[in-house]
Amino acid sequence: MPSLEINGQSIEVETGSNVLQAAEQLDIHVPRYCYHPGLSVAGSCRMCLVEIEKMPKLAISCHIQAQDGMKVSTESEKVKQARKSMLEFLLVNHPLDCPVCDQSGECDLQNYYMEVGQYDSRFLENKIKRRKAVPIGPHVILDQERCILCTRCTRFCNEISQSNELGVFNRGNRSVIDLAPAKTLDNPYSGNVIDICPVGALTEREFRFQCRVWYLSTQESICNGCSRGCNISIHYNTSLSYKAGGKRVQRLKPRLNPHVNRWWMCDEGRFGYEFIDHNRIESPQLRAVQGKLQTSDWEQVLQEVSTGLKTTLENFGPEGIGVIASPQLSNEELYLIRKIFAESMGVQEIGTRNPWEKEGFEDDFLIRGDKNPNSRGAEELGLNSDVKAILEKAASGKIKILYIFQHNFESPEAQEMLGQAGYVIFQGTNWNKTVEVSNAVLPGATYAEKDGTFTNFEGRLQRFQQALLPLSESKSDIEILSTLARKLGYPVTYLDAEEIFREWWGRTYQELEEFGELLNGQKR
Amino acid sequence: MSSPFVFTSENQERFQQILARYPNKRAAMLPTLHLAHEQQGHITPAVEEVVAELLEVPLVDVHEVLTFYTLYFRQPMGRHHLRLCMSISCWLRGSDRIQVHLKNKLGVKSGAITQDGSFSWEAVPDCLGACDMAPMMQVDEDYHGPLTPERVDQILEATAQGQEITTAPPPDNTKTEALPIQLISEHFGNSQARELEWYRKQGGYEGAQKALEMQPKEIVDRVTHANLRGLGGAGFPTGRKWSFVPQDTGKTIYLTANADESEPGTFKDRYLMEWDPHLLLEGIIICAYAVGIHTAYIYIRGEYLRAAQILQKAIEEAYREGVLGERVLGKDFQLDVHLHRGAGAYICGEETGLLESLEGKKGWPRLKPPFPAVVGLFGCPTVINNVETLSQLPKILLKGAEWFAGIACSHHGGTRLFALSGCVKRPGVYELPLGTSLRELIYEHGGGVLGDKQLKAVIPGGASAAILTEKDLDVSLDFDSLMKAGSMLGSGAVIVMDEDVCMVRACQNIMRFFAHESCGQCTPCREGTGWVYQILTRIAEGAGTPEDIDNLAELADNMSGTSICALSDGAAMSFRSYVKKFRSEFEYHILHKRCDVEEKKTTVNA
Ligand SMILES: Cc1cc2nc3c(=O)[nH]c(=O)nc-3n(C[C@H](O)[C@H](O)[C@H](O)COP(=O)(O)O)c2cc1C
Ligand code: SF4
Ligand code: SF4
Ligand code: SF4
Ligand code: FES
Repeated sequence: MPSLEINGQSIEVETGSNVLQAAEQLDIHVPRYCYHPGLSVAGSCRMCLVEIEKMPKLAISCHIQAQDGMKVSTESEKVKQARKSMLEFLLVNHPLDCPVCDQSGECDLQNYYMEVGQYDSRFLENKIKRRKAVPIGPHVILDQERCILCTRCTRFCNEISQSNELGVFNRGNRSVIDLAPAKTLDNPYSGNVIDICPVGALTEREFRFQCRVWYLSTQESICNGCSRGCNISIHYNTSLSYKAGGKRVQRLKPRLNPHVNRWWMCDEGRFGYEFIDHNRIESPQLRAVQGKLQTSDWEQVLQEVSTGLKTTLENFGPEGIGVIASPQLSNEELYLIRKIFAESMGVQEIGTRNPWEKEGFEDDFLIRGDKNPNSRGAEELGLNSDVKAILEKAASGKIKILYIFQHNFESPEAQEMLGQAGYVIFQGTNWNKTVEVSNAVLPGATYAEKDGTFTNFEGRLQRFQQALLPLSESKSDIEILSTLARKLGYPVTYLDAEEIFREWWGRTYQELEEFGELLNGQKR
Repeated sequence: MSSPFVFTSENQERFQQILARYPNKRAAMLPTLHLAHEQQGHITPAVEEVVAELLEVPLVDVHEVLTFYTLYFRQPMGRHHLRLCMSISCWLRGSDRIQVHLKNKLGVKSGAITQDGSFSWEAVPDCLGACDMAPMMQVDEDYHGPLTPERVDQILEATAQGQEITTAPPPDNTKTEALPIQLISEHFGNSQARELEWYRKQGGYEGAQKALEMQPKEIVDRVTHANLRGLGGAGFPTGRKWSFVPQDTGKTIYLTANADESEPGTFKDRYLMEWDPHLLLEGIIICAYAVGIHTAYIYIRGEYLRAAQILQKAIEEAYREGVLGERVLGKDFQLDVHLHRGAGAYICGEETGLLESLEGKKGWPRLKPPFPAVVGLFGCPTVINNVETLSQLPKILLKGAEWFAGIACSHHGGTRLFALSGCVKRPGVYELPLGTSLRELIYEHGGGVLGDKQLKAVIPGGASAAILTEKDLDVSLDFDSLMKAGSMLGSGAVIVMDEDVCMVRACQNIMRFFAHESCGQCTPCREGTGWVYQILTRIAEGAGTPEDIDNLAELADNMSGTSICALSDGAAMSFRSYVKKFRSEFEYHILHKRCDVEEKKTTVNA
C-alpha cells in the first residue's frame, strides 16, 4: 500500500490507484474531462495535470500511479497555469452558447471556468463551424461545436454498451465525434452518454429545453424498471410543473452503486418514468351497482372495503378472501400486507407473480427479464401462492372478495376470471385493465412518492426515498393499509415505512449500508 | 448508396497473404484498405463494410482509420493524381509559383478532377521527403523535381500520353565533394547495390554473419560502447534501448523499423531504402538477433511507393537466398521481415503512433508508461529503431565499437546522414561524422547559399527544431551541442533560408504542417497548433495585433510539456524560436501590415 503526500496531506492508497483517485480520498478534486472511473484511461484532455516532486514535467494524475513517497501538488502555480491554459485551449473552438444549452448549470466547462478564473478571450480567429443539434438516436442530440473531444462517449460505446456507434473522425482540430456511417445511437444503454458527456455536446431529446437544471431537485431512488434495481436519482420539479404539462419528474439519472449498476442504467429504466405523472388514478373510485366506476372519497371507499372484508370474514372465514400483492410494492408494504391479511385475518393464499407476464428482454449486463423491482422481496416474505389458482377460486365463487394490488391483468383468460369474480378491490397507481373490472379502487402512490426498500434479483436490499407527494388524492400504500387495518380493528400503528422496516429488518434506514445489503439467506 | 464491392479473386489471394503477416486480423487494416484502393481507385462505404467484415472489426473503426489518413480517397480521382509538396523546403524553392501554374494549367482547384478526368491534384501541407528535388511533386507513384512551369507542362503531357517521363536523376551531390568517411552512403547512386549478389560481393551481410556468431549480449554491449544514438529524432542510445527489453516474459518480441520519415526537410531514410535496401535488412538481422526477435516490421510511409517496391524486392530476394526466413544466413536463427505501408500521417513516425497504426488503428500516440520496450506492438515487448540507426549496425559489427565511437565527438559514435535542403546550391544527403560544423555542411558540402545570398536562418534538425541564425553557424552538429544551442539535431534535416525569406511566412508554413498533422487527441496540441497557425496567418496577411507576439510566446509555453507526445513540444519549440529570433520582423508585419523582407527583396525567391 503506497503512502504519498498530496498538497501536504498524507494518504495511504490501494496499490494500483492513480494519483487522481488518491487525491479524491483526501477530498481533493482534480479537474478532469476525459477521465471517468467506469472507462479506460484516455489521458487526452490534460486537465488533470499535477506537479510531482522530482519529475521534470507535469504529469496527468488520471494515469500516473500513486507511488510510495510521492509528493504531489494539485494547486501549484505551474499546475494552475496549465489548467487555465487547457481550459483556454478548449474554449478556442467552443461556441459558448450557454444561454441556449441544456447542460448549463451542470457543465464542467462552465464549472472549471468559474473556478480557474475568468479572463478575456484573446482568441480573435474564426471558430470552426460544425454540425449542431443533430439527433443521433432516439434519445440523444449531438452538438459537435460544444464537444471537447474527451472521448468518454466513444469509449462508452466501445467498452460498455459494446455497440460501437460513435467514433472520432478526421484529425487535428478537424476531429469530430460522429456516428459511424449509416448507424444511429440506438442501443439499450444510449442515455448514459448524456450523463458522462462533461459538456453540452450530448443532450437528452426528452429533456431538451424542458427545464433549467437549477430548478431541479433530486432524490435518491431505485429504478423500478426491472429486478436489477439500478440506483438512480429522480430529478424533479414541482414549482414549475404547470409549464411542463403537469410533469413533475423531469428525468432519471443513474447513481453509483459498484455492486449493482456501477455508473450506468438502461434506457428502458431511464425513460420509463412517464407513468408517474401520466394516466394516474387521482381519486378513489366505487362502482355503482352494475354500473360504472364513479369518483368517490376515501372515507366512503374504505368504509365499503372494510365492511366487505369484515362480512366476508364473518360469513366465509379467511378462505373467502383472496389477495394478490404486487412485486412492484416495497418490502415494507408487502410486510404490512402479510401482517394484515395473513397474520391478522388468516388469509392463507397471498400471491404476487403474474402468471401471464412474459419474461422481457434480458442481457448479460444490467437488464433483467423480470420487469419487477421486488419479486425477490415478495418471495423472501413468503407471498408465493399461485395467482392463477387464486383467480380461479375467485371466478368459481370460492373466493368472495379479491384484493388486487397494482397488477394489470389484461390477458383474456384473466379478464374472464375477473369478470366472474364477486367483488374486486384494486389498489394501485394507474388506470389499467384490472381497474376496469374492479368494484372499489384505492389510488396508491408510485415509488417516487414514497419511502421503502426493494430487494433485487441477487437479494440485495436497497432503499428508495420519497421525492414527490402522492399525486392528487392518492396515498401511500402504507397509509391506505394502516387506515384499513384500523377500521378492521387490528392494532396497526405504523406512521411510516421506516417504522415497518425497523420492525422487519431491525435497523433504521440510516443504518442500512450505502450500497444496500445482501439478504444472505436470512428470512424474516 | 454505393455499389457493392468484392475483391477480385487475385486480390482475395493477396488479402490472404496480407493476413498471414500479422498475428491478428485488425492489423491488416491499412494494407487491406490499400488493396481495395488499388482495385477501385477510392474507398466507398461498401468497401468499409467489406473490410469491417473481413477483419472482424466494428465499422466505426474502419471509418476512423479511413478519415485519419490522407492517402485514401473517398471519391473518384483523376486517372493520374498529382501531389504538390507545399512544405517548407519546397516552399523555399518556389512551390507557391508552381501551385498557381498547376491550378491554371489544369483549370481546377486543389482536390478536384479535370473535366476530362485525366488529372486530379492537391497541394499538400506535409513534406513528401524529396527536398533535394524541391520544388517537387508526386505523379502517381513517382517523384518529380525540381519543377519549373515548363517542366510541369512536360510532365503533364508525358503523363497524359502514357509516356515515360525522362527525369534527369537527382543531382548526385553525395559524390561531388570528397566526404571524409562513408559508412552507410557509399552505395548511393549505384543501383547495383539493390541486388543481393552484388551487395554480398562488396562484403554485404558480413556484419550480420559476424553477429550470428556472437552472443546476443555481446552485440548489445558492442552497440552500447559504440555510442550509437538513435537517428530518428530523439537520439536515445541504441544499446541501452535494447537492454530495456525484458527477455523473460514468454511473449514474442517485435522489431519495428521506423521508415515513416515525414519530418519536413528529411529524406535520408528514403535514400537508404532506395539505394541500399540490403543494408537495412542486414541491420534488422543484427538487431533482431541481439534482442531475441523473430518478427520485424518495416513501417514505411505510404507516399514512399518506389522505396517500398525496392525494399519488397530485396526482402523477397533475401528470403529466396536464405538470408531471411527459417535459417538466417544458414544459421540456427529464424527471422521474418514484413513491409507495412502507412497511409499518410506524420504522427505515425512517433513510435507509439506507429504501433497503433501497425495494429490497424488511427495513429493516436499512447500514454507512457508503459514504454514500447515493455508493452509495445500487440501488447508485446518491442524495439523501435529508425532506418538509419539500423543501417549503422553492420559496420559497427565489422569494425568494432571503439572504431565507430572514435569517428565522432564524445558521447556519439559514427556518422550520420544530413539531409540538406532549402536555399542552398547543392541540396542532398551528406554523410558526415557527428560533430561536423553547420558551416562546413552548408558551405563546403552544400556549396553555400543559392545565388550567393546572405544566409539568414537554418533549421538544423527538421521542422520541429528551433531555428538558428547566421551567428550559430559554427555549432557542431551533434545531439549535445545543438541542445546547448537551444535547438536539436532531430532527424538531421538541415534547411537553409536566405536573406529574402520572410520569417513570418516561413513560420506560418511550418505551423500549417503541424496543424495539419496533429493527431487531434490531446487538447494543447489539437487546439494549439490550429490556433497558432491562424494567428500567424493573420499576421502574415496584415491583420496582426501587438498582443499577438506575447500571446504566441505564452502559447508556446502552454503547449510544451503538457501533451501526450512530442509533436506539440516540437511545434512549440519551432514557432517560439521564430518569434524570439526574428521578433522585429513580426513586429514590422504587425505595425505596417506588410512584409519588410518582401519590400527589400531585390530578386524573387528562386
Ligand atoms: C511527432 C514525431 C514524429 C516522429 N517521426 C519520426 C520518423 O518519421 N522517423 C523516425 O525514425 N522517428 C520519428 N520520430 C521519433 C520516434 O518516436 C522514435 O524516437 C524513433 O523512431 C526511435 O528510433 P531511434 O532510436 O533509432 O531514433 C518521431 C517522433 C515524434 C514525436
Ligand atoms: S460528445 Fe461529449 S462525451 Fe463525447 S467526446 Fe464530445 S465532449 Fe466528450
Ligand atoms: S436495468 Fe433494470 S433497474 Fe436498471 S435502469 Fe434498466 S430497468 Fe431500471
Ligand atoms: S501531442 Fe499532438 S500529435 Fe501528440 S498525441 Fe497530442 S494531439 Fe496527438
Ligand atoms: S482527466 Fe487526466 S488527462 Fe483527462
